[in-house]
Amino acid sequence: MPSLSVLLDSFFYRPDEDVGPIQELVAGTDETVEPVPEEIPEEYLAFRLEGEHYAVPIHGVREIVKVPPLTEVPRAAANLLGVMYLRGEVLPVYDIKVKLRLADKAPLVAGPDAAEPPRGARIIVVQTADGLAGIWVDSVSEVVRLRPSMLELAPPGVGGGERDCVVGLGRRKQQLFILLDIWQALT
Amino acid sequence: MNQAGKALAEFVAEGTEILEALGKDLLVLDQQRGSDPDPDLINGIFRAAHSLKGLSALFGQERISKLAHQAEDLLDRLRLGKLSLDDQVLDSLIEALDVLQALLAEASREVSSDALSGRVTELGSRLANLGVTSAAVDEDPLDRLELDAQVRAVFTEYEEHRLRENVRRGVALYRVRAAFDLSDFDTGLAELNSRLKPLGEVVSTLPSSEPGGASGIAFDLIFGAKVPEAELAAKLQGTPAQLFSLKVRPVGSAQAPAAPAPVAQSVAQGIRPSAPAADAPTPPKKPRKKRAPKGSGAETPAPAVTESLVQAPLLRAVEEASPEDLTQGVLEAMRMGESSSPPRPELAGPPVRTLTDEPASPRGPRMENESARSLTQTVRVDISRLDALMNTVGELLLIKANLQRMVETARQQEGSVMLSSKLWGQELSRETRQLERKLDALQQGLLEARMVPVGQVFDRLARLVRRIARDAGKEIDFVIGGGDVELDKLIVEELSDPLMHIIRNAIDHGAESPEARMAAGKPRRARVSLRAEQKGNHVVIEVSDDGGGIDELAVRDMALRKNLITEVQAREMSRRELLNLIFLPGFSTARSVSELSGRGVGLDVVKNNIGNLSGIIDVWSERGQGTAFHLTLPVTLAIIRALVVGVSGRTYAVPLNSVLEILSVKPSEIRTVERREVLDVRGTTLPLMRLARQFGHPERQNDRHFVVVAGLAQERLGIAVDELQGQQDIVVKSLGGRLQGVRGISGAADLANRRTVLVLDVGALLEEGMSLERRRA
Repeated sequence: MPSLSVLLDSFFYRPDEDVGPIQELVAGTDETVEPVPEEIPEEYLAFRLEGEHYAVPIHGVREIVKVPPLTEVPRAAANLLGVMYLRGEVLPVYDIKVKLRLADKAPLVAGPDAAEPPRGARIIVVQTADGLAGIWVDSVSEVVRLRPSMLELAPPGVGGGERDCVVGLGRRKQQLFILLDIWQALT
Repeated sequence: MNQAGKALAEFVAEGTEILEALGKDLLVLDQQRGSDPDPDLINGIFRAAHSLKGLSALFGQERISKLAHQAEDLLDRLRLGKLSLDDQVLDSLIEALDVLQALLAEASREVSSDALSGRVTELGSRLANLGVTSAAVDEDPLDRLELDAQVRAVFTEYEEHRLRENVRRGVALYRVRAAFDLSDFDTGLAELNSRLKPLGEVVSTLPSSEPGGASGIAFDLIFGAKVPEAELAAKLQGTPAQLFSLKVRPVGSAQAPAAPAPVAQSVAQGIRPSAPAADAPTPPKKPRKKRAPKGSGAETPAPAVTESLVQAPLLRAVEEASPEDLTQGVLEAMRMGESSSPPRPELAGPPVRTLTDEPASPRGPRMENESARSLTQTVRVDISRLDALMNTVGELLLIKANLQRMVETARQQEGSVMLSSKLWGQELSRETRQLERKLDALQQGLLEARMVPVGQVFDRLARLVRRIARDAGKEIDFVIGGGDVELDKLIVEELSDPLMHIIRNAIDHGAESPEARMAAGKPRRARVSLRAEQKGNHVVIEVSDDGGGIDELAVRDMALRKNLITEVQAREMSRRELLNLIFLPGFSTARSVSELSGRGVGLDVVKNNIGNLSGIIDVWSERGQGTAFHLTLPVTLAIIRALVVGVSGRTYAVPLNSVLEILSVKPSEIRTVERREVLDVRGTTLPLMRLARQFGHPERQNDRHFVVVAGLAQERLGIAVDELQGQQDIVVKSLGGRLQGVRGISGAADLANRRTVLVLDVGALLEEGMSLERRRA
């Protein structure tokens, strides 16, 4: 009785094997197989800020958490909403609405006078050069797959000036996502 | 961490440990420079080099193993007396230690720079060529010893050398015969050895040719005694040992009497440079004395000789713990040596850089490595401490089992609710108390395990001081004290760079040149001391020098010129305040920017670093008398007891170790002095800071304030808050890189039920309070 591995061996792919016929066979069965194979779609996390749709590459996002009670930090930078505890680590939570000119002033979300955070609000935790940081978003919508051909440069007037953290636009059918450089947004 | 990385980390940790031990021993050797080295010490260093060689070869660190091998070779020749320990040898060994340290640093980063490799090769060949010219002994002193040729034949080379050395020095030699029972001869022999050790040197242990009874074994110990025979005999009372004196035939005529030498034998040797014993060959002295007057002659070995001459008196690390008279003796010997030798022009100015000094090229890369930080994050913990922790954990498990049982019973009784709820509550509260106690013990144990003696970093600094002093051309006595004071490992590591900076300043700017010191009527050698002392739950580290002190007027002028203060402010400032200006960013009084200090990024960085450790730095200086920096640090950062206070609905924690007292104050009791709020506390004026105002929170109108009186070092400040919420143990987490710059906050802590509170940085607030005063003045 030959051992199991010997039996299984014939099922394994070998580099010198001709897989052409198999690919042809597969090609007809699945509609999602892309005609241009070198266009690898990238995953983006889409979220909303003041009704606008934004997206960031998902590999930069460490996790998404519900808004915990935030502690305000006196005399800190204006875009710092507060600090939160995440499994034994203290991390700062930032507002990027002011930077994106969506609001004039960072909302008061920490301290005794702050209102309950809206139900949909989340903190996106990202890894930065100086450790973890959190970003307040109004809601997280979905993970979208965008192929390079679906991306376009930000039109003039949108990407310039203070909004240098906008790197481009992603278009999926009728929906438009504003692509952010999240690290730039935190500076 | 992957397998290879783990192995590397282990290697670096162990290598660091070996190098640390090596460094310590070399330092002792350095202190005893000029006297005969303790053979045990040399042996210890030899063994350390040997283990490093083996270890690094095991991990494929070829460069380290090669250099360690060469150092071991040199040490072997040293311990066999083929080479005498002169300044050049010692300096080379210390340099080898530095290079090994650098190599280890590179190994830990998994890089290998060519500059360092070049240095290794160069140093290696220098080590190999050192002192080959050991003069042949004209007459073997061993021949004068009445000892069986048979016995002599079994000596190892090292034992023979030690015996020869002892005879040469005229030490009284004994044969100690002891018979033990076979069953426990090892313990008996060990006990005898431990008794003999303090009295002299056990040169060799040989099984005796005469049987020691029916079931026994006898040993002959060849022993060189430092104490009179009577004392030796008295100390051996109660052991089976018998004493036989070994006779030494006098050599020629004027041999030093073989009388029992005084206790401080080795020191005495150093003190009398021309004692009768000097007839015996002291090879390296001869060429040195002959060549020195010629200055840097044309012969090739000359530069090396010059250098060792220059370096010799430059620096002496003096362990404070050693008896004063002994230290004094060594120093005395040094000075005698100085005065007896012909005038040395090299000493007039800064030491001449000679060819044999460190090559100039690796200077650059070495500067970045030049840190007294250790390479590893490991802490050595006594196993008994871990056992105690383990026990505590066991008891915690018991409590957990109890709680579980209670939960079970409660569930079963669900039908008949509230039946025994009172009893149940009592039981629960008892378990909670137990739990609390055990958690306290666990916490205490863990904190203890994190503690390491500050001596670790002091020793590393002592080595750096040597080099700094040499480069700066100063003559320094470096005094260390309180190395056994314990601090959290984290703090000790973070301390090394600030301390090094302050010490550099002391050597560079504080200590005057030898000539200037002589002119001022001070001893030629400047004294820089580094002391640690425990004061309650703080440790105070003092770095002081007896140099020129800080010229506060020069400080004021510099601050004015750099626009750090205004004329008006300058006029109002006290001397103490003027001195504190040196901590301002961008301040540097050094007229010449040296490589070591005076780059303008000086004490403000030090102050920040100390501040990050919740510590405070203070300076004292008297012109012409010296300068002292006091660093006040908490013993640990990990878990602290804090006072939880409320301000305008926000909650903050104040480390309890900086809270002196708490006052309840009515608004009417607050007075103002020059528009600044103060309190009158038992006759002294206490500056007051309203935390809400300071932090920009909406202020509340209270009919009374609580004032937390905080103090660090001599500074006092009252911090007004709205409410006190109690005490709690907190684990302080740093706010991370992005929030480093927030003033007045040192970190955050998690109170129960997901409440995050910020921890006040009392040191920074104190300073703010003080500078506020300054600004308003």
